[in-house]
Amino acid sequence: MSWLAGLGRDALDPGYAEAARRRHGTTRTRGRAIAVSWVVVAMVLAGLAVGVAVRSNQINEPSAARARAGMLADVDRAQQRAVALEATASSLADQIRVRQQELGAGGALQSVADLQAEAAMTPVQGPGLRVLIDRADGSNVILDRDVQLLVNGLWVAGAEAVTVGGVRLRATSAIRQAGGTILVDNKPTFWPITIDAIGPLNSMHVAFAETSGYGRFAGFAANYGITFEVSDVASLSLPAAPALDWRYAEPGTGTATASAPATGPTR
Amino acid sequence: MYAFIAVVVGIVAGLILSPTIPDWMAPYLPIAVIAALDALFGGARAWLEKIFDAKVFVVSFIANVLVAAFIVFLGDQLGVGAQLSTAVVVVLGIRIFANVAAIRRWVFKA
Repeated sequence: MSWLAGLGRDALDPGYAEAARRRHGTTRTRGRAIAVSWVVVAMVLAGLAVGVAVRSNQINEPSAARARAGMLADVDRAQQRAVALEATASSLADQIRVRQQELGAGGALQSVADLQAEAAMTPVQGPGLRVLIDRADGSNVILDRDVQLLVNGLWVAGAEAVTVGGVRLRATSAIRQAGGTILVDNKPTFWPITIDAIGPLNSMHVAFAETSGYGRFAGFAANYGITFEVSDVASLSLPAAPALDWRYAEPGTGTATASAPATGPTR
Repeated sequence: MYAFIAVVVGIVAGLILSPTIPDWMAPYLPIAVIAALDALFGGARAWLEKIFDAKVFVVSFIANVLVAAFIVFLGDQLGVGAQLSTAVVVVLGIRIFANVAAIRRWVFKA
């Protein structure tokens, strides 16, 4: 690495030594004023470069930081707005239900209430299973499709209402993943994730233990050291799912006919 | 003395005027500044060692800035701009450090 050592030794431009040697023999030919003015010009340029660079750096740096802070604030605001809108939608749905009950809860309105309950739009309570899952030391062993399989196992075992990380599942709910975070209906959940399922206590626990989701998580617990605990709870109370936000679908008129092609959800 | 005043004038002018840097120039400016600093400290050391030469200083100053910017430009075209910037900064940084050390030895005799 001699060149690296030489870099420090010959730091001064060799041109100076050479010029000094050349000058040694002859007398000074150049006018001193010209030389000084050249140096002054170069110095002003150098100072200008330094000043401009420092200034532009000062200007750019805060703007990047500002943009970042602004984006974070935007995200915060959007999340708060989503929460507020959801609360408004749920309370409006509650008002509708109250008005319907005032009008007399029989007949068609009763069936509306039943449908709302089936669509997970009302809070429910009852006995059920509580499943606690947690990844081991921040590793990404548990993926969204694992949680999907686990929840499907709970439905298979007879669950009537399920929450994942406190978010009630409804017909259109999606369990997805963004990095190491599980999103339920686009709401981030935090490890450890609690999954509550209301259903027939004894038979559900047994049936759930036979599902492939249970088997997969039991394997994860044995091989990767994740947390996977299933416990019976005498009384769970699950919140209502956020109101359905239909933007394109409208209720059709009349009854659905059998001639309509049966298209299930595609995956 | 003139040189010192000139540098201060330049820095103050740059800070006050704060001209907008064209986008294409932005990656090369810091490297050019490092090269300019290298020439500055080299000139200062030569001056202290009584071998300062105005022509050598001006030529080395302009050439250093242009070559440093050109190396980074070349690196950008080849996709190794960031690495070459680092290389230029390392090499010039070592030189600046050595020159400042020589100035320090000269000034403090230590």
